[in-house]
Amino acid sequence: MIATYRTLLVGQFQQASQYRVSMFLYLLFSLIRPIIFLAAWSAVAAARGGAVGGFTVADFAGYYVCMGLVLHFTTAWNAYEFEFEVAQGRLSPKLLRPLHPLHYSVVENLTWKAFTAFGLFPALVVIAITFHARFETQWWNVALFVPSLLLGAALRFFLGWVVAAAAFWTTRVNAVVTLFDRTAFIFAGQIAPLALMPGILQTLSYVLPFGYWIGVPTDILRGGASLEQSLVWMAGQVAWLIASYALFQIVWRAGVREYSAAGA
Amino acid sequence: MIRRYGRLLALFAAVETQYELEYRVNLVFNVLQQLVVTGTSLGAVLILFSYTTTMNGWSVAEMLILIGTYYIVQGVADSTVGPSVERLLEHIRLGTLDFTLLKPANSQFLVTMRHFKVRNLFGVLTGLIIIGIGLVQLNAALSPLQVLSFILALACGLGLVYCLLHCLATLAFWFVRVENLLVIYGAFVDAARFPVDIYPGWLRLTLSSIAPIGIAVTVPAEAMAGKLDLLGLGAILVATILAWTFTSWFWKFGLRSYTGASA
Repeated sequence: MIATYRTLLVGQFQQASQYRVSMFLYLLFSLIRPIIFLAAWSAVAAARGGAVGGFTVADFAGYYVCMGLVLHFTTAWNAYEFEFEVAQGRLSPKLLRPLHPLHYSVVENLTWKAFTAFGLFPALVVIAITFHARFETQWWNVALFVPSLLLGAALRFFLGWVVAAAAFWTTRVNAVVTLFDRTAFIFAGQIAPLALMPGILQTLSYVLPFGYWIGVPTDILRGGASLEQSLVWMAGQVAWLIASYALFQIVWRAGVREYSAAGA
Repeated sequence: MIRRYGRLLALFAAVETQYELEYRVNLVFNVLQQLVVTGTSLGAVLILFSYTTTMNGWSVAEMLILIGTYYIVQGVADSTVGPSVERLLEHIRLGTLDFTLLKPANSQFLVTMRHFKVRNLFGVLTGLIIIGIGLVQLNAALSPLQVLSFILALACGLGLVYCLLHCLATLAFWFVRVENLLVIYGAFVDAARFPVDIYPGWLRLTLSSIAPIGIAVTVPAEAMAGKLDLLGLGAILVATILAWTFTSWFWKFGLRSYTGASA
């Protein structure tokens, strides 16, 4: 398995290095949304005399710099290509190979993240300086952040595949994906730190899986919560990861049986 | 001349509408998708405004006008120039631009106004409704001058977005390998959901100059909310004329680097 992955990684890296510019263009997407909402919350904080619910502009900056990092390293778009592969019948040869189609996506995903990290870090540093970001990160925050980030990335990856598996039944995955994306947009901690979500929306953020994808790793890295609280959140991440993996297995097995290979 | 191009435009629009109407269920799903997107972005703004009554001098009502303007600009761009320049990238890459260049009409017109996605016009409708709600909330008398300057500023804003999209696509003459330069537009357009004045200096500058999507939305919204002075209106008018002149020159300049399908 390690040898397989090494080969796939080398191949993917060679392919990726041909499209350096466009890879960095896509990096813009990881950066622009944190900046937008950071600027918006800064304006709100300014209107309220400097702080919103304990968050000063510096705290917002700390949050959104961490969020940019989390968003970038946990994002997964591979599922979007899946609709295309099913519709074109290009999934068929992949299904015949001894390797689960998922592994190609994992490698593609890792390569992109590794490549663009070089552009991401300087950009985040610039944002942190522009907004005078403040972090309350302690050593244990960093220690917990690494597994929390991996859990978030895995969770997002499997959730994406559960959504994409809809392509086995319908040709309108696009609509399903939009619904998923927009729900995540509200609840994942992108439009606001989860602590600032009003009333029922906050409860929903911690019930639904989305907060465990972005909000939780971000708050852990920023140092916005106690150690106990962080551990409870990570337990939530593990629970949702197991649930989404199980769901993926069920949906995928049922889906492959349903798959009729359009164009075959 | 204008009549001839008007007839061509009507013909393109009719053909593309017929094509879209073949996929009626897609149309319905598209409308539903747009409702979800609009609803959630309104929700995001309402969450921000649950903590404040103004954001950098913009009240909720004025913000609604801005968001409505955003959806109008985006709706028009995504239904006309957007789809056309997307095809242009393909044509440049494959060399099939030859066929367009041989046609007896202005090439800039043909590459930017040929393909329509009529369904995205639904965004314009939602935009108008949101502006309407904003105006009711604003509860101020609307002078004809305000409406007039809104229409003028909106036309300029749309012109600026047209120029940006066309220039980005024209870059493909030199950067064929760059898969999709329009990504730049896609990334920055998101930032236009908020007034440009909330952004830090460098981003505000970007959104007002090389990627003028920011002012394309903010200025018309300011006009409708009665926050725009004559100077601002004049500035966007001049900017649009300059951008337009540059874009036509840039297109002709780019064409000279085009080598065609078989070359």
